[in-house]
Amino acid sequence: MKLLRAELVDSREFLPGQWLQRYSAPWLAAGVQAGQFVHVRTPDYSGLVLRRPFSINTFDRSTGEITIHFRVTGVGTTWLARMQTGEFAEMLGPLGQGFERDPRTRHVLLVAGGLGMAGVRSMADEALAAGCEVAVLFGAASAAEVYPSGLLPDEVEYVVSTDDGSFGHAGRVTDLVERFEAWADQCFACGPQPMLAAMARLAAGRAGRLGVARLGARRGRTTRNAPLGSRQARRRAWLQVSMEQNMGCAVGACLGCVVMGVEGPQRVCREGPVFAAEEIAWEGWR
Amino acid sequence: MTPTAEQTTVDLSVDLGRGLELANPIMVASGTFGYGIEYGDVIDVEQLGAICSKGTTLRPRIGNPPPRVTETPAGMLNSIGLQNPGVDAVLEKYATRWAGWRVPVIVNVAGESVEDYTEVARRLDGQPGVAGIELNISCPNVGAGGLQFALDAGAAGEVTAAVRRATELPVMVKLSPAATDVRGIARAIADAGADAISAVNTLPGMAIDRHRRRPLLGNVYGGLSGPALKPVALRVVYEVAQTVKLPIVAIGGVGSLDDVLDFLYAGARAVQVGTAVFADPQLPVRLVDSLANWCAEQGYASHLEVVGAALPSKRDKPSVKGVEYRP
Repeated sequence: MKLLRAELVDSREFLPGQWLQRYSAPWLAAGVQAGQFVHVRTPDYSGLVLRRPFSINTFDRSTGEITIHFRVTGVGTTWLARMQTGEFAEMLGPLGQGFERDPRTRHVLLVAGGLGMAGVRSMADEALAAGCEVAVLFGAASAAEVYPSGLLPDEVEYVVSTDDGSFGHAGRVTDLVERFEAWADQCFACGPQPMLAAMARLAAGRAGRLGVARLGARRGRTTRNAPLGSRQARRRAWLQVSMEQNMGCAVGACLGCVVMGVEGPQRVCREGPVFAAEEIAWEGWR
Repeated sequence: MTPTAEQTTVDLSVDLGRGLELANPIMVASGTFGYGIEYGDVIDVEQLGAICSKGTTLRPRIGNPPPRVTETPAGMLNSIGLQNPGVDAVLEKYATRWAGWRVPVIVNVAGESVEDYTEVARRLDGQPGVAGIELNISCPNVGAGGLQFALDAGAAGEVTAAVRRATELPVMVKLSPAATDVRGIARAIADAGADAISAVNTLPGMAIDRHRRRPLLGNVYGGLSGPALKPVALRVVYEVAQTVKLPIVAIGGVGSLDDVLDFLYAGARAVQVGTAVFADPQLPVRLVDSLANWCAEQGYASHLEVVGAALPSKRDKPSVKGVEYRP
């Protein structure tokens, strides 16, 4: 974790209201893990008192560049979208715990709802680089909001669903999971809370037969010793989810960004943003 | 001889009573800085005047349901609800670390009853690494206890006196800006044996989630902090400074040297930086340098020379002012 200035190299509105920005930040790009995030302060900060957290969408160690993907929803993102190339944003990062891929995993399933693509996108690159096969399931409200396939690596299998049926499967992205769940050794998901909760229900019902658990069983290993929330336990979880919450400090000091876990409140910025699905109390608070 | 910048040695130290001596008057506010370790290498805590810990209670508290924070015009709301692992766990986890630091750590203590406060104070007493207590009688985000002690002079005096008896540690009591007239409360706290007063805690407020047409925060209400709170905090500091002789530590929207100076002029001897740490974690350390440079440029040997500069030469007449800002 470090405070640094990142130069905006490229900025474009690739879907209505959705932006992709590329920053030069070699130190970040060198140390980041898929699933981690940065806490960003815009150059003109008049009136804004909080930074804005963004998943690191992609990173390239050779060029020293990272990208973030966001929707313009308020003053902070409006400021960011107005930035010109050559300007600097101040970033604190990399922050939080990224995805834990089991080294034995060969088939990686990524499930994204809307802006949730920003949370799982970097895992596509990382898994491909590790020689895995990758399938990306993406759900949007309508065709106008579908993440362009051109922004994904060619090697991934990309399946889309839309709520209104205007593109791809008509229905929820979770409807598509069934086709891939037996194939996938591990699944990484990011999106609205109800989507993640639905994913968690799917995974919980089939935990013993799925993915890494199956790999572990075949090799006679047990997952029972690793404490909940530990890296080992997460690595053996079939489903890992990247969670979102309003955030204050992003380093674990203010306790502003908690979600309820089965063992009490969990800080999205510190214990997360990536959690194993079984760590989260999906029914909510208390 | 008129001193020049080069010649003036500036002493920024400040005494908050009962031996609590800070190397400089820039502290970090409770709740924004955890237990002092979370920011890691991003900030050198040893450069700070003091650290006020996250609010600590007798028993562990789970806190309020999320969302717990949101940005508001020139400020933010928080409703953490005093989530903390309880005083014993806090001491076990952090006190050894604190004891190794030069920077004093002041433990912010909250409770639901006088007994809670005194028991926490008793357990902190004599612990290595604990330099003092900030008595949080003004947290707006908990049901029982919390704010009620800061709205009533009798209750404020009672809890302060009880804690005073329970510990030898320096006790600083944190005022609420929600009190109708803080002067009576400050007087009661001073009479009960407090060593210092910090002002102010957050001001109760709320935000609406426009899309869902309901309160945005999980707890509905939250405490307002940041620049939006500064004029309110200045008013409280200004009034308390005219009421009691205790050292005053100002809190409320400190984000620049100008803010620090405003609070010094209004009568504070030290300040706490809170919300501004989130956007700019290195700000408190930079403020120490800027204040030292400013004193040197102005020819002051200590920032204490300007404390209270804006206070009236004669005290205000006793309190008809209270009714003027009654909501």
